[in-house]
Amino acid sequence: MKEKKRRSVFGILQRTPKEKWKKEEFSEIEYEPTSVKELLTEMKDISELVIDLAYSAVMFDNEDIAEEVKYLDVRMDKLNYDIRMTAMMAARTKEDAEQLAGILQVAEAAETISNTADDIVKLLTREKTGPILPKILKKADEQLFRVNVSKESNACNKKIGNLKIESETGMRIIAIRRGDLWIYNPNSETEIKSEDWLITRGTDDGYKELREFLHGKLEVLD
Amino acid sequence: MKQKSVEEIVLEIKDKSELMVDLAYSSLLYDNKNIAKEVYDLEDLVDVLYQTLQKKTLEKLSNKKLSVTDSLALLRLASAGEQIADAAQEIADVELRDVELHPILKISIRESDQVFTRVKVKPNSILCDKTLGELKLASETGMMVIAMRHGDKWLYGPNKRTKIDADDTLFAKGPEDGEKHLISLANGDSNEL
Repeated sequence: MKEKKRRSVFGILQRTPKEKWKKEEFSEIEYEPTSVKELLTEMKDISELVIDLAYSAVMFDNEDIAEEVKYLDVRMDKLNYDIRMTAMMAARTKEDAEQLAGILQVAEAAETISNTADDIVKLLTREKTGPILPKILKKADEQLFRVNVSKESNACNKKIGNLKIESETGMRIIAIRRGDLWIYNPNSETEIKSEDWLITRGTDDGYKELREFLHGKLEVLD
Repeated sequence: MKQKSVEEIVLEIKDKSELMVDLAYSSLLYDNKNIAKEVYDLEDLVDVLYQTLQKKTLEKLSNKKLSVTDSLALLRLASAGEQIADAAQEIADVELRDVELHPILKISIRESDQVFTRVKVKPNSILCDKTLGELKLASETGMMVIAMRHGDKWLYGPNKRTKIDADDTLFAKGPEDGEKHLISLANGDSNEL
């Protein structure tokens, strides 16, 4: 069997050709041997990310973000298929099967969450629900914000981990958009570049501080 | 009781459903049935909220205070929250079953990008007798407290006015460097906020 190394979609730059989710959807599903642990970790991460992305697509009335949600949802289908195959091949006894059934139930729930995210973005792309939903979502305590990085900011070319953005401002960066490319769930090694757009989640106070910093009006975060 | 507006109900469904997903995953991580049961209780609450919302939205529609498009948008968004709540309950169901959890469940949740942490607040900690709002824990450490245990009582989804007492156990989620910071604060090893 040819060995393919599965690459997680997180923390790396993603090339986003138009409607790449369609390409994935109609490609034949091919089973790739991967560990259940890797599959489940990625499914859990997608389930959390995709909801935030879906709400932010609606909030910012942004079809590009909606496309990413569709892509992640299609990927989730494939992961769910792979985890079922892997789990079935791993079961040898009734006890194995019982424990693995629990894993598959969690995986199924993660997939349901991602399908729901897809339903949420359909409100934007298909139903054209207009301004009422952004208006409501803007009233939440913890909100999604979008902010760009200006070239004057000290954040440019620095790693997120070194900047300690999350521990200093409480703002969690859920995705970065760089031109046509996306980075989902960037990690502490991810560098911020000038002109990046960050989708972040947190409080109003945290957002204001982060915005000042990313716009170069604040030298350091503390 | 104060009448909630339809907007408030939609937001409450959204917040509660997200809290439920966090709690459901952490119930597996800590193999904790209390947290899993809370997810079940919250599911009931979300169901009630959703029904109330349906009724109120239709009332507003018939009084011509809401348009058809807006009413549908509200109900669809809330229905998404309701489905997320159901999915969270499915996850919690795995914990409540009489089958020992597969060790991979714990490892997968632990290895994910956001960590969940559980920490007990020592009496000499700077966190004692302060509210979450005063401490600004989320913006100072990046850790969001999603649940607390006070003696044998549980509190889920604490807010700004929630006070932390000595010996409380906090359940929080956030990045790894935030976790270290929170643990040293709770242990009384650090007073730096």
